[in-house]
Amino acid sequence: MSDQKGVTRRTFVQGAAVLTASALANPRLGFAGQPPQTGGSDQVPQRELGKTGVQVSALGVGGYHLGSTKDQQEANELVARALDAGINFFDNCWDYHGGLSEERLGAALKGKRDQAFVMTKVCTHGRGKDVAMQQLEESLRRLQTDHLDLWQIHEVIYYNDPDLIFAPGGAAEALLAAKQQGKVRFVGFTGHKDPAIHLRMLTQDFPFDTVQMPLNCLDATFRSFETQVMPEANRRGIAVLGMKSMGGSGEIVSHGAATPSDALRYAMSLPVATTISGMDSLGVLEQNLAMAKGFQPMKPEEMQALRERVRVFAADGRYELFKTTKKYDGEVGREQHHYPNSQELPA
Amino acid sequence: MQPNTSRRQTQESSAQVAAGGSIPLRKFGKQDVQVSALGLGGHHLGDAEDEQTAVRMVHEAVDNGMTFFDNCWEYHRGKSEDWMGKALKGRRDKIFLMTKVCTHGRDASLAMQMLEQSLNRLQTDHLDLWQIHGVTFDNDPELFMRPGGAAEALQKAKQQGKVRFVGFTGHKDPTIHLKMLQTDFPFDAVQMPLNAFDANFHSFEIQVLPELIRRGIAPLGMKPFNGHGEAIQQGAVSAEEALRYAMSLPVTTTITGMENLDVLHQNLRVAQGFQPMLAQEMQALRDRTRAVSGDGRFELYKVSIKFDNPEARLAHDYPLDMQSEEVKEMVQAGNTGHPFPVIPK
Repeated sequence: MSDQKGVTRRTFVQGAAVLTASALANPRLGFAGQPPQTGGSDQVPQRELGKTGVQVSALGVGGYHLGSTKDQQEANELVARALDAGINFFDNCWDYHGGLSEERLGAALKGKRDQAFVMTKVCTHGRGKDVAMQQLEESLRRLQTDHLDLWQIHEVIYYNDPDLIFAPGGAAEALLAAKQQGKVRFVGFTGHKDPAIHLRMLTQDFPFDTVQMPLNCLDATFRSFETQVMPEANRRGIAVLGMKSMGGSGEIVSHGAATPSDALRYAMSLPVATTISGMDSLGVLEQNLAMAKGFQPMKPEEMQALRERVRVFAADGRYELFKTTKKYDGEVGREQHHYPNSQELPA
Repeated sequence: MQPNTSRRQTQESSAQVAAGGSIPLRKFGKQDVQVSALGLGGHHLGDAEDEQTAVRMVHEAVDNGMTFFDNCWEYHRGKSEDWMGKALKGRRDKIFLMTKVCTHGRDASLAMQMLEQSLNRLQTDHLDLWQIHGVTFDNDPELFMRPGGAAEALQKAKQQGKVRFVGFTGHKDPTIHLKMLQTDFPFDAVQMPLNAFDANFHSFEIQVLPELIRRGIAPLGMKPFNGHGEAIQQGAVSAEEALRYAMSLPVTTTITGMENLDVLHQNLRVAQGFQPMLAQEMQALRDRTRAVSGDGRFELYKVSIKFDNPEARLAHDYPLDMQSEEVKEMVQAGNTGHPFPVIPK
């Protein structure tokens, strides 16, 4: 990980050596890798995105919460302010708020697309390549762009998901096809459920560029992505994208396990490319920026002390219920897997 | 520990009984002891219609060659142990008796009190196996091993000749079982859920079972029907397939709950003259259950707080948040050990 200090806004270096081969091969993918940056604590630092040769901001704007802003105007302001502060990583997903999150981001990035690293996710939930390619077109249309910087398989949360994704005609084929067609630059997957499932995905040896997972100060104590998955992804040169730094809905903070600042700082101090954080208002964005601008990572002993301190909150998993209960499973995904609706299940 | 000679002879004589009744007998870890490949679960015994039925079930089980009897200090607030104690009158020497201690992270002195209560209820002067119940939380291994922790009670009870062997149980997380093993405490047995669904979801079969075999610790399987048989009711597997799969694993015994004579008879039909599944049959069954195993809905004890024990949560200082659906169900479910009788402060 590199923690280069933010500078002036990115200088766009079309065709510079940092561009990946695929980006060079396709001039439409004109996103510039970040030049080395120096100085200034008024910007969010940039980090290498795995082996891609691209840099992204160490803090990313979560797409779900962007769809919870009160109107397009607020979304516009939030995105503009984030860009100003040096955030270029924007998360999204085909099914967030029935498409509204993508629409909001697309509109907010009008005229600014080239400043942003846009990720969205595809929601096949075990269905095939055709469904994925159709969703890709819908995502591109809503995001008002001709390409994504990163396209990830959403919600890999069931033990048989790797079987389905890598079956002939499965979603893995769509990732490759979309890359070949120049519609996406990089590909990955995400999930919040179980380190063992993430590891099953990684051991397929598919050329994932990124993998997204919950990473927070409670995680190391309970069914841990930090101890089980992150090192394996790093070993493979796959960029790690952290999420749920405060427990997904702020549980870590609201129950007093850690302050928002400690929680975010811990997550950002891990060897990750970015930490995606949901921000549904300018106030939350500013709070995160206060920590992320001029970010200084925690020392290993500080991280260890925090893990120890929150252990009593962590060991029964009560603030990371997304790892254990069905309530955080998407209903469409359950339906596609022929699993009963989560309402019908015992708790 | 030097096994008491008369107890050892007891085991040999029970082996003969079982051979006649033809439930296979299997070696208990590294010990020179054999137990029946099917064990009678103590929790469901307390669900029997009445004491008379429970007593009759135990008698029939013993008469049909079952020697392994499970129990726990907190099952039905002591009723399971009480009924089993009554049923074993005159038959104690024919069987291998296990019960569990419910310190949930608390002290060795509490464990020793519970041991005396268990022995009283079970009407015996010794247990064949005494296990730590419900190892569930990430910090349980360190609470167990700490100075004054329950590990000391296991050692002491062995030294006093009140228990022959010791172990631990849990249904939650293979990683926690492995942490317990990494303490290198000399466990004789370890109990865990093993069934046709486990291999595809937080698997004890894949992660824990081989390690036990490597260490010569007796693996005890439980929940061959996933605890409450939901998978069978929904037609994912038949009862016979489910029990055969569990018993075909390299385990010392498979403990299963039987709350009435019909269930006992059904299980005896599988266990008497048992022939293990072939490796390819087991693989075919795992492949068949793979899709329905994927979300863990038949093994919710591995994930849901609902299957925690309220006493255990409180002993760990984990809250019982009554707003939470899982906690409401946990408290209603009665899968709990309210102290019985009340533990003196």
